[in-house]
Amino acid sequence: MSARMFHLGWFLGNGFGVQAWNQEWAGTGATDWMMPDQYIDLARSIERGGFDFLMMEDSVQIPNAYQNSSEYYLRTASAAPKQDPAVLAGILSQFTDKVGIVATLTTTFYHPFTVARMISTLDHVSKGRIGWNIVTGSSTYAAKNFGFDMPEHDLRYEMADEFVELACKLWDSWEPDAVLADVENGIYADHTKVHTLDFEGKFYSSRGPLNTTPSPQGRPVFLQAGGSDKGKDLAAKYVEAIIANPPGVEKMKAYREDIRRRAVEHGRDPDSIKVMYLVSPVLGETDAEAEEKLARRERAKESNIEGLLAGRSHLASIDLSQFPLDEPLPDDLISNGHRSSFANFKGDGTQTLRERILAHSATDAVHLCGTPATVAAQMDEIMQEVGGDGFLIVGTPMHRRYVAEITDGLSPALRRRGLIRDGFEHQLLRDNLLAF
Amino acid sequence: MSADMFHLGWFGSFIPTTWTTGWDGTDAARWMDGKFYVDKVRTLERACFDFILFEDSSMVSDVYGGSSEATLKRGGWAPKGDPVALAPILARATERIGISVTMSTSFYPPWMLARSVATLDHMSRGRIGWNIVTSSEDLAAKNFGMDALPPHDERYARADEFVDLVTQLWDSWDADALVMDRERGVYVDHTKVRPIDFVGKYYKSRGPLNTLRPPQGRPVLTQAGGSPAGRQFASRYADMVMALPKGVPAMKEYRDDIRMRVAAEGRDPDRTKVMFVVSPILGETHQHALDRKAAKDEAVRQHPEGQLIGWSGSMEIDFSRFDLDKPLPDDVQTNGHQSTLANFRKWANGRTLREACVAYRTESMELIGTPDEVAAQMDEAMQEVGGDGFLIWNQPHNRRYIGEIADGLVPALQKRGLMRTGYGHEHFRDNLLEF
Repeated sequence: MSARMFHLGWFLGNGFGVQAWNQEWAGTGATDWMMPDQYIDLARSIERGGFDFLMMEDSVQIPNAYQNSSEYYLRTASAAPKQDPAVLAGILSQFTDKVGIVATLTTTFYHPFTVARMISTLDHVSKGRIGWNIVTGSSTYAAKNFGFDMPEHDLRYEMADEFVELACKLWDSWEPDAVLADVENGIYADHTKVHTLDFEGKFYSSRGPLNTTPSPQGRPVFLQAGGSDKGKDLAAKYVEAIIANPPGVEKMKAYREDIRRRAVEHGRDPDSIKVMYLVSPVLGETDAEAEEKLARRERAKESNIEGLLAGRSHLASIDLSQFPLDEPLPDDLISNGHRSSFANFKGDGTQTLRERILAHSATDAVHLCGTPATVAAQMDEIMQEVGGDGFLIVGTPMHRRYVAEITDGLSPALRRRGLIRDGFEHQLLRDNLLAF
Repeated sequence: MSADMFHLGWFGSFIPTTWTTGWDGTDAARWMDGKFYVDKVRTLERACFDFILFEDSSMVSDVYGGSSEATLKRGGWAPKGDPVALAPILARATERIGISVTMSTSFYPPWMLARSVATLDHMSRGRIGWNIVTSSEDLAAKNFGMDALPPHDERYARADEFVDLVTQLWDSWDADALVMDRERGVYVDHTKVRPIDFVGKYYKSRGPLNTLRPPQGRPVLTQAGGSPAGRQFASRYADMVMALPKGVPAMKEYRDDIRMRVAAEGRDPDRTKVMFVVSPILGETHQHALDRKAAKDEAVRQHPEGQLIGWSGSMEIDFSRFDLDKPLPDDVQTNGHQSTLANFRKWANGRTLREACVAYRTESMELIGTPDEVAAQMDEAMQEVGGDGFLIWNQPHNRRYIGEIADGLVPALQKRGLMRTGYGHEHFRDNLLEF
């Protein structure tokens, strides 16, 4: 017995930023990361490899959390510099045919009209393959770049809720048959089918209508990474794919059931929300070789506590260098950034900061390690246990050799088990995502 | 101290990728649409390879076991697409990397070849090479209506005349023949386009060619010559000689010999690059690379047919007739690659065929280790040999391996200053002769 067919996405965890650059197999990553080539190769590879979509994370600041300085981040090219994924999305759409392309756009930093128009344009040029990863932003420093202080966590979600509501109204401001393109009578669009909104919300207002035509998907596919209650509610209300990383199979199962329950409460079919778990498979030619690779990586982590702390400080917007490594973090420490993710990281207070930072991964729901056949079997088992709906592969380290290991090694192994698609039934991202 | 900067090329064929290694993706089913090769050549250009060279042959071998079964079942020597059709697609996807295609002097009329290569050189803006082969398999000759190929040395005599004629055809247009004078209404100045009235021992052609002079004048000529006739031929024409001597002393001897012959032909020896075929086995650690090498050897020991099919095809000897656990019998002959068979016997030196399969290597030297270790080994070899670079032979032929070379080994070579980090010129030859 094996699991039902599930979905794969590629999670570009460092966005359109510097990927592997000074590690082995990094190629020309140090000098040409800002060019589209690596991402074109990636998008084409995952399209071959049966992935539903490429999802590009984003952030808009030079981090400064760790030791109150940008030094670590810039010295190691961690989380900065980073370019605009919306620009890249348009390029990638021209080099692929079927794979979905998901860009991260922050509700807190855009006006809804701007996002609605940009997404609509991207959906047109990609022939209906665009997704929007809805984030509210989390970093104090990012907000300062836009001239304000970061709104409090739950308030951001309230704003996001209204933001999405307004964006949807803008996408719906043209009736589907508003464009006539009637050459003989000289009528392009029927103005009676293009409506103003005069939206007045608590946070946003917009007259409308949108000044683009209805795009192939109408609305983009919505993605979101919601761990907190507020986040999960927003997800259950709007999104079609959730980026999730509860640690361990039991929590993965519980998380999915919770989301599906909330979806029903919002009057939605729970099968219309795909819960996808972050994983970073470590692949080798033999199981032993993969285990050794993983062990080498763990050893490297132990000698890079600073890097781990800096990364976590950035995500939480808390300077973790101020806390003693061999004591647990203070009970009352909460993040106004990635709140639930930070709470998961902190644990229950029985482990020291050093133990937590080494044990806890921000990007791995479960450890997958072995030959492609072994890892495919592990994924099969997990999906049988959890119920669905798929995985997001996090490229770490993100270089072409790793991409090839996944798309040319793991994908065929999953296909042999009938676990992932062997082609795209549909043109639209939404249709492919909801095909099973 | 380290070696002077050297050149890297990639040596392979327009064939299926690996399909049983576990890292094969979907390419083995789709290689013939060319997209895998587009990705490959773009990768190699990013890694600053001087060129990619496509070997070719025109047959489905049925030498091994007297049947095509073994050849086709494994997909080794056949199927194989026409690299001449692939070349312009690769040229369109790239800007600087050279593309050398194999075309056989035994199977093309010279005029046809001259025109085809000139067209490719234009379409690639001066990045085409012609890899000259005389062909060596009677089986291929039969596909062209011949009973057999001419004997080895005669093939080289014919090839010599062939290249002379083709060169004259390229030269039949002066570089400034295209005047495009709109006022006088003159597109081409006919006084700069001349018949050649070539009459040789084997070929005749009136000329001139009916395309413009190629951007490089004469596209880059590459060749692989092991026999004395082959070496002599290479020294007269080749810009790059692909070489397979085994071990560093033999590599040095080979290069010195070619340079001496080139000088004797009145040419500058620095204008003929000798490049050695290698297949580095890379690992994340030294031990990992050794493990990969051991796994590869063991796979051959268990299934030596792949190697035997290769020898059967290239030497036209049915290796399936022989006992795997005994040496090759003494009375076996071939009309094919004579130097290959002679070298094979000398090298096998009493090994059983099975162990010969395990020990055999096409490549000039073994390179095993982390990217940095292999870069050091290449550095040392080049210091010893004197130049001029390596041809990476694609084994295993898949994206993962290409990535290991392009994104692992190349940066390690560049860090040591052994490899270019960009292209100085637009034309293939200018880049090849840049250092």
